[in-house]
Amino acid sequence: MTGIRELSQWRSLTRDGDSRARYQRMLQRADRDIASMLEIDVEKGFSSVLGQNSPHLQGIPFSVKDNIALSGFSFTCGSKILEPLVSPYHAGAVQKLLSAGAVPVGKANMDEFGMGSSTENSAFTVTRNPWDLDRVPGGSSGGSAASVAAGLVPFSLGSDTGGSVRQPAAFCGIYGCKPTYGRVSRYGLAAYASSLETIGILSADISMMEQVFHCISGTDERDQTTWEAVPAYQDEQGSPTAAVISDLEGMDPEIRRGYERTLEAMKSLGWKITEVSLKSLKYAMPAFYTIACAEASSNLARYTGIRYGMRHSTSAAQEEMVRMTREEGFSAEVKLRVLLGTYVLRSGFQDQYYLKAQKIRTRMKQEFDMMFSQADVLLMPVYPVQAFKAGDEGMTPMQQKVADRYTLPANLAGLPAVSFPAGIESGLPVGMQLLGPSCSEERLFSLIRKLSEVIPPPELPVRLGAEEEADD
Amino acid sequence: MTDVFIGLEIHIQLLTRSKVFCSCPSGFGEEPNLHVCPVCLGYPGVLPALNRRALEFAYLTGLALKCTMAKRIHFDRKNYFYPDMAKNYQISQFHAPVGVHGNMDFDAEDGRKTIRIHDIHLEEDAGKMIHGSGKSLLDYNRAGSSLLEIVTEPDFRSGREAELFLQEFRSLVRTVGVCDGNMEEGSLRCDANVSVNKPGKGLGTKVEIKNLNSSRFVRKALEYEIRRQSRLLRTGRAIIQETRLWDEKRTRTEPMRSKEEALDYRYFPEPDLPPFCPDEQFITKVADMLTELPISRYDRYRETWELNEETARYLAEDVSRAEFFEQSVEQGADAKLAASWIKGELTKLQAKGEFSFSRRTVDPQGFSSLLRLTDAGEITAQQAKEVLQVMAETGGDPQTIIKERVITGGLDEQQLRDLASAVISQYPDTSAQIQGGNMKALGFLMGSIMKETGGAADPKASRRILLELLGIDLTK
Ligand SMILES: [Zn+2]
Repeated sequence: MTGIRELSQWRSLTRDGDSRARYQRMLQRADRDIASMLEIDVEKGFSSVLGQNSPHLQGIPFSVKDNIALSGFSFTCGSKILEPLVSPYHAGAVQKLLSAGAVPVGKANMDEFGMGSSTENSAFTVTRNPWDLDRVPGGSSGGSAASVAAGLVPFSLGSDTGGSVRQPAAFCGIYGCKPTYGRVSRYGLAAYASSLETIGILSADISMMEQVFHCISGTDERDQTTWEAVPAYQDEQGSPTAAVISDLEGMDPEIRRGYERTLEAMKSLGWKITEVSLKSLKYAMPAFYTIACAEASSNLARYTGIRYGMRHSTSAAQEEMVRMTREEGFSAEVKLRVLLGTYVLRSGFQDQYYLKAQKIRTRMKQEFDMMFSQADVLLMPVYPVQAFKAGDEGMTPMQQKVADRYTLPANLAGLPAVSFPAGIESGLPVGMQLLGPSCSEERLFSLIRKLSEVIPPPELPVRLGAEEEADD
Repeated sequence: MTDVFIGLEIHIQLLTRSKVFCSCPSGFGEEPNLHVCPVCLGYPGVLPALNRRALEFAYLTGLALKCTMAKRIHFDRKNYFYPDMAKNYQISQFHAPVGVHGNMDFDAEDGRKTIRIHDIHLEEDAGKMIHGSGKSLLDYNRAGSSLLEIVTEPDFRSGREAELFLQEFRSLVRTVGVCDGNMEEGSLRCDANVSVNKPGKGLGTKVEIKNLNSSRFVRKALEYEIRRQSRLLRTGRAIIQETRLWDEKRTRTEPMRSKEEALDYRYFPEPDLPPFCPDEQFITKVADMLTELPISRYDRYRETWELNEETARYLAEDVSRAEFFEQSVEQGADAKLAASWIKGELTKLQAKGEFSFSRRTVDPQGFSSLLRLTDAGEITAQQAKEVLQVMAETGGDPQTIIKERVITGGLDEQQLRDLASAVISQYPDTSAQIQGGNMKALGFLMGSIMKETGGAADPKASRRILLELLGIDLTK
């Protein structure tokens, strides 16, 4: 299954000038209600294509989260402070897709600098969940997830700092891949928390996701934290062992049902299930936010309005100009995290916060090492609740941070995790994830493909108009 | 009476072709903002990619400064807002620098001294901000250039010591080939810290001095600062820990705005660069790059050839000059003679832009054979200078030049020839006597030529021309 369309159908949307112009109109119309995209320009995207190295991806359209550099397109990171910025360069992952022949059609909305779980914290627009317009698509890659779930594109590049690919994928009923840290170049991903985040993939089709992963992974000399990975477990032999956490708490009943359903599917496939404990899990949230905010306070220091982006119209001297630009350009949530990060990095206080968080992180890595010496994968829900309501009826920022606890461990430990749809409850998708040891993406894809045969992915609330397509 | 403690923080711009974290060329004095890219302008999403050459140069400097070299280094972020720093943090090294616990020898006024090196660390340079007429202008050409910081222990006791050390240090980095050592252009920069205390009381309150654009300024600023602090100490007033700027016009230090001090840099490990652990191959490569240091050459020149201090230092401080000297000696030149000619004539030619020790038109072989000819009395010193000038201009070897352009003490061949025929016609009897075999009579004709030219004519050339005109061939 390839969303609504077969590969050839996707390809036909970008085939010639007329098709692209028609596709452009279809996208604009289909995106009107969900507002998944900040910029749509099929023709400009087509003219950025650099080659046609891949028979699989050639001509296939995709969207790109707006914190990933796509030359000639907006590069706002969902922030007012970068509103006027047009990227002067391509991200490493984007460049690989362009060389493969894939066609970027636009930039996807997101929570400002990736800080949020609902895509309501974008400076520009609130993206809606195609399943229910009153609900959020998740975040921070909510625009990416919505654009895929609404059938606008077959896949999207997002970024996952603490669950920002997997959680919106779960909210929108699609697949989300957060690769091993260092397997996909971060060059061109505007940094929020450098040591935690990776570029990730959102797709309604596990095979498509696999193709894209194959294309964008590998070393990049411009990102020296990438390394040539030897993929673990190419071939499946025997039954895998899945770990589950014995005392997993706090799931909503709908999520619990999806979790149980997945366990049943695993058993029906003959997988062995083993119960484990992850003691450091309860410290994941404070450790994550300590490190993420610390890195953010430094990463976001470059946004001053001096060299690019928004500049406050004051005639004041540079120090004051920078202060006013940041005051106006950043939202309250961004300021909160920058301030927290500045606080935890103060000299004399690092032992208490930053270094303690790093110790928890090391401890968590050790626990995972132990776990994956006994099990092949770990099953966890993605998020304790389904897509929540937008606005005041939804979750507070603090509730959202607490709810990130199932997704944060993969980022803290640098491990791969792939989320997948595990059925529909109360009319909305439920998402689960498999985590694996370093470089086990190939195995995760293959195991999830098997699970999807037992729990078929849902029919998506596709919005890309078929009438218009039939016009010619 | 006071004890003085001075430490230096020296920044050198490494001679890498490209910047330390991007592929922009590193250069000086180009059109503003010409050598920039998304990386060194700090665009969103860019990452640093460490320049391998910068790493080699950093380790090489550490080796030359006898540091304990790190088995594993990483970079840290030094966070502070300044417009000429594109990312508002500097990638530097705080926790695991390239080298620690080094030392370096130099000759102070009262003899050889060893200065301890606290650490050396690799970092990126900032751009430049120029203020003027209500505007601030930024040039990022220098931003991201590879910079190595060398921090000494507070081992200097006077401004003069610091000055002499800096001169030796400059010569060392130039010799090793990691920096051009140009203080005026800022490729070698130095900040100093100084504290003065009552004898035996240890370190006092540290005052930093910046804006020292030459080793002379370093000395003057330190001397001023020592006087200032001693006066405060004597009169029982407090010395404030602060940063002061050297004002060359007023020849004094002034407090810097206190706002830029007391910054908390919030160092933390740079997540965008993996740690580096030098392997065997890297270490061997760097070790092979290390050449003899100037001070060791100096000692060798003093011992082996008994050159005087000044000459030995002059030769040793510049690697191309030192190599020219040593190669000339290898080619058979007398060491002292070669040294004196290098220090004299060749340096003069270099100053005039007619010769360079690094891009030589005169090679050590030609130079040494010229000195041999001089030494053997074949040509006079004055003639040798002329030949050397021609060698520098044409790149020819001395024998050919002497043959082709006969050296005539200021007269050219034709002038000398005309003069000789005039003398022969003036004294036909003497000429006949010579032709008859009375060679003593030749002295008379030679004397006449000398008289005519006020002694400027070259005796050998005069003799040769006279004999030729008289049709005498002594070789038969
Ligand atoms: Zn650059």
